[in-house]
Amino acid sequence: MAFQMTRRSFLQASASAALTTALSGWLSSGAQAQSGFVKKPFTAPGSFGDTTTVSGGVCEMCFWRCQLVGKLRDGKLVKLEGNPKSVDNGASICARGNAGVKLLYDPDRLKFPLKNVGKRGAPVWKRISWDEALDECASRLQGVIKKNGPQGIAIFPHGASATYPMHFFEHVVGTPNNSEASFFQCRGPRDMAYIHTFGVEASESVDMPNAKAILLVGTHIGENIHVSHVKQYLKGLENGAKLVVVDPRFSSSAAKADIWVQIKPGTDTAFLLAIMNYLVKKGGYDKAYVKENGEGFDQFVKAIAHAELDWAAKICDVPAAQIKEVADLLAKNAPHVSIHPGRHVTWYGTDFQRERALACLTGLLGTIGAKGGFVKAKGPKLGKVAWPHVGTEHAEEFALHKMAEKHIFSPPGTPTQMLRDAAISGKPYPIKACITWGQNPIQTIPGQQETIKMLQQMDFVMVVDVMPTDITMYADILLPELSYLERYDIVKTGVQWNFNDKHQQYIAPRMPLVSAVSADHQRKDSVWITNELAKRLGHAKEIQVPTAEAMVEKILAGANLSLAQIRKEDGIHLQPGSDPYGAVYPVKFFNEDLAEAGYSGAPNYTPVPDPPKGFARLVYGRVPVHTFNRTMNNAWLNAEIPENPIWLNQDTAQKLGLKNGDRISLVNQDGVVSANAGILKVTQGIRKDTIFTAHGYGTKNPAMTNAVNKGFDEQSLITNAAVDPETGAHGMRTSFVRIMKGGKVLNIPA
Amino acid sequence: MNNSKPKTPAAFYTFLAQSFRYPERTWLIGPYFDLLENISQNLDLNKDALGLRQSYCASEEGLEELQIEYTRMFINAIPAVVAPPYSSIYLDKEGNLYGRSAVWAKQFYQLHGFDLAGEEDLPDHLVLELDFLGLLLEEGQEDAAEQFLSEHFRRWFPSFKERVLNGSTNKFYSTLLTLVDFFTREEP
Ligand code: SF4
Repeated sequence: MAFQMTRRSFLQASASAALTTALSGWLSSGAQAQSGFVKKPFTAPGSFGDTTTVSGGVCEMCFWRCQLVGKLRDGKLVKLEGNPKSVDNGASICARGNAGVKLLYDPDRLKFPLKNVGKRGAPVWKRISWDEALDECASRLQGVIKKNGPQGIAIFPHGASATYPMHFFEHVVGTPNNSEASFFQCRGPRDMAYIHTFGVEASESVDMPNAKAILLVGTHIGENIHVSHVKQYLKGLENGAKLVVVDPRFSSSAAKADIWVQIKPGTDTAFLLAIMNYLVKKGGYDKAYVKENGEGFDQFVKAIAHAELDWAAKICDVPAAQIKEVADLLAKNAPHVSIHPGRHVTWYGTDFQRERALACLTGLLGTIGAKGGFVKAKGPKLGKVAWPHVGTEHAEEFALHKMAEKHIFSPPGTPTQMLRDAAISGKPYPIKACITWGQNPIQTIPGQQETIKMLQQMDFVMVVDVMPTDITMYADILLPELSYLERYDIVKTGVQWNFNDKHQQYIAPRMPLVSAVSADHQRKDSVWITNELAKRLGHAKEIQVPTAEAMVEKILAGANLSLAQIRKEDGIHLQPGSDPYGAVYPVKFFNEDLAEAGYSGAPNYTPVPDPPKGFARLVYGRVPVHTFNRTMNNAWLNAEIPENPIWLNQDTAQKLGLKNGDRISLVNQDGVVSANAGILKVTQGIRKDTIFTAHGYGTKNPAMTNAVNKGFDEQSLITNAAVDPETGAHGMRTSFVRIMKGGKVLNIPA
Repeated sequence: MNNSKPKTPAAFYTFLAQSFRYPERTWLIGPYFDLLENISQNLDLNKDALGLRQSYCASEEGLEELQIEYTRMFINAIPAVVAPPYSSIYLDKEGNLYGRSAVWAKQFYQLHGFDLAGEEDLPDHLVLELDFLGLLLEEGQEDAAEQFLSEHFRRWFPSFKERVLNGSTNKFYSTLLTLVDFFTREEP
């Protein structure tokens, strides 16, 4: 537009009567917002050039919670580093930890409460105030509670900040329908199996730095990075530990292994049973420990007596001699053996039994409490903040698995499959409101079409997140949460990473490295959001802490600490620890409770279906620079590995005329085609019946502008998930795939 | 800083800054449109400006439409925000927030006697930059204003404006962008 007038002449002419009147009219209307500036005389030049170090950060780029410091320059976070005072990760953080800076300033982050004025799944967003958002959430949740009872609400939480709202909805509102991905799509079978074998949780409590042998079944440390855990593992190897890796794929761990067992997927339990049977028969186990602390050993021995080396060799497609070699190696180095419990264990729907087998092997070798064995650190004691259990009884009464007398050994919450089935069918009761908090159920839960069906039948969907992940597209109200760099939440505790070093305990609360308040957003923390909802739902009197900061203070008070004190101590409080060795746990080789409930009392092997002709099994894992979908939009991490690799056996590739770097799609047994391509990696390091890829790719929400449509979402191909009978957790390495290239489907040759 | 009355030229920038805040009834009222129309008339833009009062002052649906459009253009949207109103997006190659150009802006503010109200405020939001120009002019720092425009603002505003105009047909924002352009463009 060509103006008649220059700015200069306009400004000179602006004294014209009409304009002056309008201007003073506007000025005196008082309808101007506060200026975003304050007057501040300029001080010495260069004074803004220095960086200051802020301590008290706890990383959440994954869930290992390394301790951080932030380097700030004049209010801008310029770098994250490991807190040098840390006895856990030390000064080290991983690539993702470093890239936290890019999360903080990601322009795609959620900023204000949003209301969906379009459709669920195809949203049109309108910014609304917190009051409006909270009022609407509360009145719609209240509507569901009135009509359907508290059990009509389902919650899908993940991460430290989701614990507070999760417990509010479970214990105060009174819904049992809580599906944590960290249990039902990850660690649940492990945790429950170890609890029902040793009476304690497994975590990753193996003393690898001081082990003489380490057994990893499917665990690929190095691709899966948790800093202090990687340090433990590498220290063990450096100290000469023998490494056995059981994996159909030449993973980064297999690459370091003394023995790589290239097992047929789905048969690990047979492998473990054969080892135990062999050791029992040979007498190569810790007889004293078993005698003292074993329960149901004779029944166990009888139950696994069929598991001969040859039997397993056939099932597992590995030489009997190799199984024997592994067994002998473990026995020879016992009790200084780390039988790694794994972390993501929801593979085949037979996972509780495999984890039981790992636990039994741990006990059989007498490694409990021994140097290099299964050793649990003794962490510091803290105070507690808990919601009163006014609704827990109601929740218990309506727990779906209890009503159906299924999945007796379920981890806390409700098995996802049952929850989703109930929501879709309305039976045994309707589930009409859905809250997701830090979880992206579109990518965490297999069977996406059912998940979407479940969401579509809801009367109300509320989502709280940091980034616009795929689930956010289904929100009616979408609430923006502060990131881990801007909020108080968890108090991380632990001990020094190597038990061989001086015994120390640490207490490190997550404290904000940068201010939570900014003119550019209205993000809030989960304690504030939950409390505001609680007030509106008539539960003001149940609120125990007014703010996240007060919550942390209360937890610290239990250790005679305060935030002020922790700040003085550079973010981490250290205190003397104690020797963790020598603990004794009972080992239920045969578990009567399991048998009574109709499950196998001794660990047992159940075969899983083989790939049909022309298909290979799809297995998945991680790449070291990403944590599922959470990091996919991060500018630095996205640049590192933007699309998922697809590992394919070299001979297969040759027969199909495929080469390294080809872009291929996958199509599963139900004809579902991956929405995008992955990058082919041709290798001898994978079995012919197996195809591997990395999880978390293929974001569908275009609002994640870096990540959208990069790589493919392997969860979309998992349409035949299994369910673990004991725990109700999903099994997700159940899918069979063929390759699609240039619109043509290629059969996988046998 | 409170709302002490800006001097006339300065007030125009304050007015423009206000215009790019989230649309709410608290400020989208008669006197706002009186001034908008008056400025527009002086610049022969009166046709568009007259319709704006009609659309956005009189009706609540109109206001909501504007809010939805603002959210889509500047906050969060599917498929993507049309034009994030920050210089970093246009001047810094990674396209992240709080890039070098934002740091430059903040230092410029400080050099000229101002600082952001909040320590975590992003320095390079369009609203802040316009607001800042008003403050400079109010203090008679005309040269500084011109330096800020030539070394910073004019390097990103045209790309921003283009993205808005390509991505939206909204008359309110196209009119206001024209006004911002008029009040910030280079003149002989
Ligand atoms: S392992 Fe990496 S991403 Fe995970 S908490 Fe530590 S630094 Fe952060």
